[in-house]
Amino acid sequence: MKAVLVTGATTPVGERLVRSLIADTRVKHVIAVGLEPREEAAPLPFGNRLTYVQADLTRGRKVRELLFGPARDLGVEVVVHLSQHRDPNAWGKRVHRVNVEALRSILDLAHRHPTIRRVVVRSFAVVYKVSMDLPVFVTEDHPLNLGAGAPQYVRDRVEADLTACARMGLSNAEIVVLRCAEALAPGTGSQLFDFLEAPVALRPMGFDPMLNVATIADMVCAIEAATHGSGEGVFNIPGFDTLPLSAACQKWGVPSLPVPGPMVHRLYSLRRRLVGSQFRYGLNRRRLHFGLVLDGTRAREELGYVPSHPVDWPIGATAVSPLPRTPA
Amino acid sequence: MPVHPTIARALARAVGGRSVRERAEKLAFADAGHGFDPFGLHPDFVSVGDAIASPLHRRYFRVKSYGAENIPVTGPGVLAANHSGTLPMDGAMLWTDVLHQTSPPRAARPVADYFVSTLPVVSTLFARCGVVGGSRGNARALLEAGELLMIFPEGVGGIGKPFSERYRLQTWTKGHCELAIRHGAPVIPIGIVGAEEQMPQIARIPAPKGSPLPYIPVPATLVPLPVRYHIHYGPPIPVHEDYRPDQADDPAVVSEAALRVKEAVQALLDDGLAQRKGIFR
Repeated sequence: MKAVLVTGATTPVGERLVRSLIADTRVKHVIAVGLEPREEAAPLPFGNRLTYVQADLTRGRKVRELLFGPARDLGVEVVVHLSQHRDPNAWGKRVHRVNVEALRSILDLAHRHPTIRRVVVRSFAVVYKVSMDLPVFVTEDHPLNLGAGAPQYVRDRVEADLTACARMGLSNAEIVVLRCAEALAPGTGSQLFDFLEAPVALRPMGFDPMLNVATIADMVCAIEAATHGSGEGVFNIPGFDTLPLSAACQKWGVPSLPVPGPMVHRLYSLRRRLVGSQFRYGLNRRRLHFGLVLDGTRAREELGYVPSHPVDWPIGATAVSPLPRTPA
Repeated sequence: MPVHPTIARALARAVGGRSVRERAEKLAFADAGHGFDPFGLHPDFVSVGDAIASPLHRRYFRVKSYGAENIPVTGPGVLAANHSGTLPMDGAMLWTDVLHQTSPPRAARPVADYFVSTLPVVSTLFARCGVVGGSRGNARALLEAGELLMIFPEGVGGIGKPFSERYRLQTWTKGHCELAIRHGAPVIPIGIVGAEEQMPQIARIPAPKGSPLPYIPVPATLVPLPVRYHIHYGPPIPVHEDYRPDQADDPAVVSEAALRVKEAVQALLDDGLAQRKGIFR
């Protein structure tokens, strides 16, 4: 029986995770941390085994008060860090503090904390570099996107990921980094979700890359496996669905229009200015040409995680291929 | 993707014969869900490729193959062949021949140069037929999955070799042997006779800046000549048994293994040239 602290608990993934942990008999208590007041965190299953703490993790003092206050008193053994800014268009120092400095504080404090023995960090597949000369099927040692031209959304995620990786083996707490495939769900900051939610999806003409998309349910399963596991390391967390972009558009029920590459960028920039869309073509340009599929072998072998929750496609799973599925 | 898999299936049925349909039904592939493998291969597109290439294989280039029993029926393998011909028809014919000569049919996974993945339409259609980008990660994943890699160690230098250099192997890269040793796969040397005369190259124009192409070839003919292809499969070279996986890091060992493969391919070419009765026969 262990106590678990979850940051970003009011996000869609956080909320599902908290519910799942509360239902888990191996967990004696959950501390859910969110930026919102408790009244606004209404979907959480409040009860004897859940403590909600409103905290701004961008402030080091608040993090200290949290970890050496309620977390220490309740004997928290595992911290699950989900808190990340989800808007790809947001930028600035505060966003950086949310994305990176909050994690740095947690890792610093976990090192000398009396009860915390494990920190699980949710990272993202967006940290990987996508290029024509790199594999489509990526393992954990795949190059990261350290391009100077990358937007803050990516740079922060890479920095947070590397911040966690740099502490592995040096901290008293075990550190696990989960590089998760994009969860195709609203409110998760998914670029692909926003791409598919448009009335028409514009695709670079002549390209149809392979994608791997996850569900919140699978992400929660992976985080739970990491919470209860032992050892540390970096793990790819793929989703159940691996399919080409055109098939994803078709299953989502959105017409897709192939457009010459240089025009796609302009059209999406225009759309972002006019409609305020969160989808940034520049952020996804390479992925929409060359594709990226996470290899989850390591997570399967060491964490026992196997994606098992397919995306609930609006158009149905048999629309693209009636071929029976055989094990890969 | 401009073509939906169901359209591809209908196209394959319309263009291909009964044998194409039968091969499609028996084709083994690792379905990652939704009918595609993680690299984008789809059996219906393999059938389209088969349906389009089969007439070329059977009637235009009249391919004769020798030693096809050396192609592994199951498990990983590296097919290493000479490369030539200005247009990669040798790749298409070898891919088709492997599909036809194996039972159950195996779709070899051609390893293409990086620039191929930047070509609109072509990159997608190639991927659907099993072509993958030439990165170690892709090759590793495929060999671990027990696939049959198709590699031309001469690379672009081979396909662009001048006519005067035909059947002389160009700079022979070693990565295929490193992969085979590390991932426990035999190397099957292949000598393709005929392709080197299909489209003699008379000049090269430097590609414009920013172009993904390494150069623009100037061939003597507008289309490949109807030369007869002779594909010679040599006995597998068991580099995975002769060397330990950790020796894949030893440059001397990898060079030695690559030289063995190169010599085997050159011997197949020399024998094949001695046996054939003419370029078109």
